[in-house]
Amino acid sequence: MSDAPTTRPVPVPDKHSQGYWDAAAEHVLAMARCSRCGTLAMPPDIVCSHCHSTEPDFTFVPVSGRGVVRSWTVMHQSFVPGFDDLVPFVLVDVELDEQADLRTIGRLVDGPETLDGPDAPLAIGARVVVTFEDLAPGISVPAFALESP
Amino acid sequence: MSGRFAASDQVAIVGYAQSPVLRHAGKPLGAIALDTARAAIADAGLDVAQIDGFTTGAIFPTAGAHTVEDGVSIVSANWMAEHLGVNPRWASGFQGFGQIPGSVQLAVNAVASGAADHVLLHRALHNPVGKYHGNPMREARGSMQWMAPQGYFGPLAMVALPYTEYLQRYGASRDEMAAVVVEARKNGARIPWSFWYDKPLTVDDYLAARVIADPICMYDCDIPVDGVATFVFTSAERARDLPNHPVLVSGFGMGTPTTRRIPQHWPLDDIMDTAFETTRRLWEHSGLRPDDVDLPQVYDGFSPFVWFWLEALGLCPVGEAHAFVTAGGIDSDAPDGVPALSGGGALGNGRMHGVPQMLEVYLQLSGRAGDRQREGAEVGVACHSSPHYGGAVAYRRA
Repeated sequence: MSDAPTTRPVPVPDKHSQGYWDAAAEHVLAMARCSRCGTLAMPPDIVCSHCHSTEPDFTFVPVSGRGVVRSWTVMHQSFVPGFDDLVPFVLVDVELDEQADLRTIGRLVDGPETLDGPDAPLAIGARVVVTFEDLAPGISVPAFALESP
Repeated sequence: MSGRFAASDQVAIVGYAQSPVLRHAGKPLGAIALDTARAAIADAGLDVAQIDGFTTGAIFPTAGAHTVEDGVSIVSANWMAEHLGVNPRWASGFQGFGQIPGSVQLAVNAVASGAADHVLLHRALHNPVGKYHGNPMREARGSMQWMAPQGYFGPLAMVALPYTEYLQRYGASRDEMAAVVVEARKNGARIPWSFWYDKPLTVDDYLAARVIADPICMYDCDIPVDGVATFVFTSAERARDLPNHPVLVSGFGMGTPTTRRIPQHWPLDDIMDTAFETTRRLWEHSGLRPDDVDLPQVYDGFSPFVWFWLEALGLCPVGEAHAFVTAGGIDSDAPDGVPALSGGGALGNGRMHGVPQMLEVYLQLSGRAGDRQREGAEVGVACHSSPHYGGAVAYRRA
């Protein structure tokens, strides 16, 4: 869906994150779930930070990709390559619906103009849904879009 | 188990030295560190040969791709000892966030336990040539994979997120932060070694500044510098025979959150929940109460931390720090102002990572602040870093 330039840093999956990036390549947001206690972890971990199991046998399960905005920033300057054509862009801190305080951060593909006006669509508690930016063949990065911009 | 610190008021700071704080120093960082160490040891009335313990927190706080090289971009405790020509009985670096409270704690524990008699603590900060946080990475590995591909990178975005949460939750505005930065720069402009000496900032300057990660603008960030500060610690008993009035370490409060997060994701509730536990520990550990404190010094490497620390210390109600500061609540020149940035902080000195807070408490409590000396400063608290990863140290004039 995106024509984002591929000079952006691309994620290099490792054995703990492979399932996340494999799902993202299929435009699916997946979270690591502890096989012992069922708690979702973001980002994936070595041990379960909830039940503290050292053998969590995490599996990656699709989530709805829906959630609410807990915070945001408008980036007017990027400190890594590949974003110069995108500034100013918005980053959102999103709490996903699946679990209390399960939070992730991504770009909001709607621009900073969503902050304009007294009834700005971008606000604390605004609902968002995951979308994906295709950086390179087989490499997509989760981002978010307002449900009703 | 008692939360009271068994070594409370048993270890003292007996001397110090602070280098000029410069954008780029003419000398290598290690050489400045050695000059500063020798000056601090002499200030304490000691000889280099009497220093048998060394500590620091040596982190190089850049997100850029700069080389970490001992003696050049950082100065470790062991580098310091070796280059002073000392084979130390004890040397240890603090590895976590909160380099100052962490290393002060190591120094105090070393003296109190007898691991060392005279401990040199230093903090050396380097400003590399080129962009401080800029990073040319094309591949994001390890923890970076959760940030850089999304454009979430570096400490400005990290602080901007909880700052936005605060503004939205409490109906504050970023214009109110001008009062914080102007206060820091007013005080820093009076300090001869500060990068910002004689260069105060106006509210208009602040409001006209370039916004980088909205709501964070250029002046909300301390400026990267080359600079070193050094302190000498020994027992309160030995301190009585030394030339300077001792300042005793009464206790610490530190802590870290346990919630799994994307690296450098600092939600406001993570910060403040941990902050309140940190200050609770500080009072318990030191035996002090909030109203005992004459001189709180809050950390301000990013300006929103000032609001967070003021609330964590109970100097104003939660959610009201923005209005408290705007109403002159931390005006160090006002008779009823809380002098929370009287030492200029990081915003008024340069990126000395918590040194200005510790140094101001030391200078005022030892009666060595010169023209800036405040009357009746007996108890001070120096706060460092974000309240959920740094910590606070309580000091008392001996």
